[in-house]
Amino acid sequence: MNDQLKQAIIDGNEAVALAMTQALVATGATPREILDEALLPGMDVVGARMREGECFIPEVLLSARVMQACLDILRPLMAAGDEAGMGTVVIGTVEGDLHDIGKNLVGMLLQGAGFTVVNLGTGVTASDFVAAVKEHQPRIIGMSALLTTTLPHMSETIALLKDEGLRDAVKVMIGGAPVTAAYAAEIGADGYGANAGMAVERAKELVG
Amino acid sequence: MMAAGAPTRQPLAPLRSDFTLRFHDDAGLEPLHEATLRLLETTGMRFESPQALAILKKAGAKVDEGSDLVRLPRRLVEEALSLAPREFVLGARDPSCDLQLGSGFTYGTTDGCGVEVVDWHTGERRSSTKADLEAITRMQDCLGSISYWWPTVSAGDCGETAQLHEIEAGWNNTSKHLMGMVQGEPLARAAVEMATAVAGGAAELRRRPVMSDLIGTVSPLLHDKDGIEAGLVFAAAGVPVCYVTMPNLGTTAPATKAGAFVVGAAEIVAAAVLHELAAPGAPVIGSIMQIYADPRTALTLTSPLDDRCRFLATELLHSFGLPALGAFGGTDAQGPGTWLAGAETMLQLVQAPLDGCELTTGIGLTNTYQLFTPENLILDDDLYHRARHAFLDIPMDEESLALDVIEAVGPGGHFLAHTHTRAHMRDAVLRSVSQEIGPDGQHFRDPVEVARERALDILEHYRPEPLAGDVSGELRRLVAAADAAVRR
Repeated sequence: MNDQLKQAIIDGNEAVALAMTQALVATGATPREILDEALLPGMDVVGARMREGECFIPEVLLSARVMQACLDILRPLMAAGDEAGMGTVVIGTVEGDLHDIGKNLVGMLLQGAGFTVVNLGTGVTASDFVAAVKEHQPRIIGMSALLTTTLPHMSETIALLKDEGLRDAVKVMIGGAPVTAAYAAEIGADGYGANAGMAVERAKELVG
Repeated sequence: MMAAGAPTRQPLAPLRSDFTLRFHDDAGLEPLHEATLRLLETTGMRFESPQALAILKKAGAKVDEGSDLVRLPRRLVEEALSLAPREFVLGARDPSCDLQLGSGFTYGTTDGCGVEVVDWHTGERRSSTKADLEAITRMQDCLGSISYWWPTVSAGDCGETAQLHEIEAGWNNTSKHLMGMVQGEPLARAAVEMATAVAGGAAELRRRPVMSDLIGTVSPLLHDKDGIEAGLVFAAAGVPVCYVTMPNLGTTAPATKAGAFVVGAAEIVAAAVLHELAAPGAPVIGSIMQIYADPRTALTLTSPLDDRCRFLATELLHSFGLPALGAFGGTDAQGPGTWLAGAETMLQLVQAPLDGCELTTGIGLTNTYQLFTPENLILDDDLYHRARHAFLDIPMDEESLALDVIEAVGPGGHFLAHTHTRAHMRDAVLRSVSQEIGPDGQHFRDPVEVARERALDILEHYRPEPLAGDVSGELRRLVAAADAAVRR
């Protein structure tokens, strides 16, 4: 049954995936077991296919949405404090920047990979990010910028996290068209993804 | 049995445009058309063949026995050309690869006939061999851009009968139509025997010719014995012949484009007249490939800066009722992946569907039709498909207009997660060889490197449909007999 659920995730077949999830629950499988033995391995295959260029973004998103629908069944069954998978990621487009399609795409793929995503939207200030870290206690914050003029707000956020004594409590990832690995290193970010798929891979490494 | 994951044959993908251009209308073509007829009637053409002279004389042409000069009265030309078919089939070993000339499609093939390869195993640049041609033919069979076969490179290790070895390499490695480059009456007879064996009989060869032949004229205004007598052999067997002329401005033709066109057209028309007199209804194709000599060195230039009026070659031949091999491509670039290679090749590939030529050539070789590298064939294949797609119409039905999808997403939303996007995205973005993402996930890989990988994959893993063993054996026997005759 795990294999069938895994395949349904890969295929983006919501009807089969929901039926298999409910059937596994009925047999007594725990949410953690279902996540680790079917849902996450299924998304791993999808992620690998995306990296190989076999799978297109809309197909990855379909699998991610099916995965979320399965998680909706599992969440009420989880013990208090048990994370739905990989932990929480807070994401947002930095202050002065209204571009959000790339950031939203990363958010959807992170959800598909088992992360809980808190999406702060666009024009997010450094203090907004810090407040969200305090409220949601994420394992990662992800900042996006599309303009060279808004890039400096990323380092401002990292500085404010340090000032607030939160820098060691959270990993920082950055991304967006003008962002490079060198820039990420320069401002002291922990991770960078050249594209959405690589961002998800890096996020998994950071919490692994 | 093909290896798992081996490349498979791509569907034939001929060029087609619904936006064919007429650069000149009939009135615009009249000066050239008339000048061609006048040239044939007054200056005439030399035929270095007693057989050809006899046919022409019997039909009423004015033949000067001493100089082999033939003057063709206008009426004789027009009556003979009225018998030439404008539409006919170039058959293929695989009937699904038959080409219907006159259907509105332009069918493409590689450049030819090169004489060197960069060995894809050793990297050595050397003379081409029959084994090279066999391997390249497998690439031709695989690629959808190639509708019919040309000997991309010569079987340089096969001596005087190389042209027969080339078509043997062709038939053993592709089931597409073959256009050979066989010259000389004895070799033409052997080629017809080979074609008959492949077609399954003389009548079937005539009905659906699995071979045609390309024969060059000698500019200005000369048909040599080897060329024209091979042509007569093929005409008698119902094998289509494509006569190609290469008037070279300022050397073998006047230094004016119009003058060079008149010389070239006269050579093609004279050959077609001979064919129709010898075998009424014989299928003839024409090709006027104007070429240029560098005025300082006399080196051949494929495409000088002023390369206007290539459309004219097709239009002029059509005005005489003959199908055309046009937009013949080629590049003077020294190797693949350069600005020049892309620019010169692309221009021709765009021209071909616009001018409506029935056949075209022009991909695969660099160094002025001399050098084959496998990656260049893949790069040119990529250009071919860019040109082909540029002329395809786009559907405008309800599903394609997608107003309901746009309404559902609304202003400021995105289409990434919509089922409509998933249904259409794979067709919406066809990736070029230049759009392979590199290992950093951000930058595209060097297209020459990607092309080389794809080419090697085909060369190493693609297996064409084999020729039936007894037919292959018969071809071997016929070629061996020709070899023995030459040795004697």
